Amino acid sequence: MKIDVNGAEVFVSTGGRPFDPDGTVLLLIHGSGQTHLTWLLQGRFLANRGWQVLMPDLPAHGLSVGEPLTSIPDMAAWCAQLLKQTGVKRAHVVGHSQGGLVGLELASSQPEVVASLTLVATALSIPVNPALLELAQSREEKAIAAMTDWGHGREGHFHDATMPGLDQMNFTSHVMASNETGALFADLSACASYDGGEDAARSVVCPCLCILAENDRMTPARQGRKMAATLTDAREFVISGAGHMLTVEKPYEVLKGLRGFLPHPA
Amino acid sequence: MAGDYKFDTLGLHAGQSPDERFGSRAVPIHQTTSYVFEDSEHAAALFNMEIGGHIYSRLSNPTVAVLEQRLAALEGGVAAVAVASGMSALFLTVLALCSAGDHIVSSSQMYGANINLFEHTLSRYGVETTFAKPNDPDGFAAAIRPNTKMIFGEVIGNPGLDIVDVPKIAAIAEQAGVPLVLDATFNTPWLFKPLDHGANIVIHSLTKWIGGHGVAMGGAIIDGGNFDWGQNDRFPTLTSPHYAFQQVNLWEEFGPLAFTMRVRSEGMYNVGPCLSPTNAFHLLQGLETLGLRMERHMSNTQKMLAFLSAHEQIGWVRHPSLDDHPDHDVAKRLMPKGAGSIIACGVKGGREVGRAFIESVELASHLANVGDAKTLVIHPGSTTHSHLTPQAMQNAGLTDDMIRISVGLEDFDDLAADFDRALKIAGKSVGGSK
Ligand SMILES: Cc1ncc(COP(=O)(O)O)c(C=O)c1O
Repeated sequence: MKIDVNGAEVFVSTGGRPFDPDGTVLLLIHGSGQTHLTWLLQGRFLANRGWQVLMPDLPAHGLSVGEPLTSIPDMAAWCAQLLKQTGVKRAHVVGHSQGGLVGLELASSQPEVVASLTLVATALSIPVNPALLELAQSREEKAIAAMTDWGHGREGHFHDATMPGLDQMNFTSHVMASNETGALFADLSACASYDGGEDAARSVVCPCLCILAENDRMTPARQGRKMAATLTDAREFVISGAGHMLTVEKPYEVLKGLRGFLPHPA
Repeated sequence: MAGDYKFDTLGLHAGQSPDERFGSRAVPIHQTTSYVFEDSEHAAALFNMEIGGHIYSRLSNPTVAVLEQRLAALEGGVAAVAVASGMSALFLTVLALCSAGDHIVSSSQMYGANINLFEHTLSRYGVETTFAKPNDPDGFAAAIRPNTKMIFGEVIGNPGLDIVDVPKIAAIAEQAGVPLVLDATFNTPWLFKPLDHGANIVIHSLTKWIGGHGVAMGGAIIDGGNFDWGQNDRFPTLTSPHYAFQQVNLWEEFGPLAFTMRVRSEGMYNVGPCLSPTNAFHLLQGLETLGLRMERHMSNTQKMLAFLSAHEQIGWVRHPSLDDHPDHDVAKRLMPKGAGSIIACGVKGGREVGRAFIESVELASHLANVGDAKTLVIHPGSTTHSHLTPQAMQNAGLTDDMIRISVGLEDFDDLAADFDRALKIAGKSVGGSK
């Protein structure tokens, strides 16, 4: 669906199903330079199993217009506004990478709206290599290529996929290229400058799940374990053989992790 | 594109993970029609394409999927669908984009069946085609209408060897908001990757160079994932509710994969030209050596061009690598490694001498295929393109004396000797009967 959030028309996928804000709502937040298609192989599955799914494209990403948001707290406030505008009182929040930082911030600043938090390939902070940041600004396509390269594990690099015929690496780079110019730089800058993760994690009160990718080169699994140890109530679910883009690379395992943690939808 | 393995490495490895249970190094032939579901939920999720996996081999198959993923990797696409033949690849592409009342702009210089599909088959279903000369970008631009759903051409036309100036036509297509679909059979991704030059969808007859052995029919559709299907209402098959998945909007839910999802969920589901797993295996065996074979195809082609050009019984030789080919400059710019291993030529004395030549070669095979490891010869006017009307023949640049040579991988000295001998016999036989 398309809705207006803070004056810009944004696209929010509901997994192709009508959305009911009074059901068990899942808010899935994508990472740096990505779109709702991060959840290609989870979102529709969950939406067709009774969850009320919201998968937004952040402003200037995917099918959403507007100016990119420039800080993690702004993104968290934007998500809160999105929930408000869709009539959602409480949601189970799932974030990938940068989306996880947004989830941490949202859960600590507005605990009343977050029923649970799932952090997929996330850490307490996501420092960004200055060279990558520079590339994102000056030669975005190079930054996309580098992130696609680092983001995928063995199967990605061997162009294998669970979805027949899919080329994950090319899919990822085309999804990233579909965003407005400047969106990636804004995202990476927001990650680089965010230092509130540890405090946020300490104050989160809801149950948490950390889905970690064993071969993650962007947010290494050991950083994810540190995050899990910092959270008061967190479980770990480690997926072996997966890289940072695990939702496309090991989609079924990610679903298993999610479903082992989330309540059955009402 | 991301930091990636190089062409020859991808040709050997892309798309495959050695199987976990047995560790088979070669791609196993999954000769099965169907796949056991984990439970009913898994079954339902697969049918609704919510997760990846196999249901029934008309839709997808693990061996075929390796081939698809390898082709997507080699072409730089987001996904590929392999099908039973090159013709079904073209048909399913049209099916995914066009409905009655829609329009196609196509190159006029193409394989006979490609032309006939547009001119005689699709027209019966209300899809009209306007033909333009492949080397006339203005002609393409002028032919585009509000209901045009695709622009089509063969990168190297069969058999006239006209070249589509891909970047130019791609710019026209993009400007008009219409996808550029190219048949890349004659160039293969080793010579030229259309998606890197602005094309949006690539189709192949895998029967030819990709297989290379002449043992298996096959085709493929490779989705560039680089076209904005949602820019307007021109592509309702991809942007309005899809009957197959609970009214899902493919563009919204699958993004760059929207076109591929339509092909699989409708073309494969409702029409069903699936590739057999065994043929996929054979095509993969061929694909493993595409880079090596193309090098030899191209060096033999260079030698054959020199041989034919110097031969007193050859009236004319046509190949984009030759200075006098009208598309020579375009070919040099787009395909620095060479413009394919097909040569057209005319034997002095016309059609009858040509016929005698084709019947006199011993090493080269007279048959209706191209891209085999073995050298092939044919007279298109009486065979591959014989279903065209005289006017269409003329439009396709086909002359009555044209012979098409598909240069193979034999030791060139043997080929030269065979051609020389056959040309002499042909010259004498017809000369003698005068
Ligand atoms: C350029 C071209 N495209 C498509 C085809 C059709 O392919 P197939 O015979 O695999 O159906 C052919 C071949 O015969 C061809 O030469």
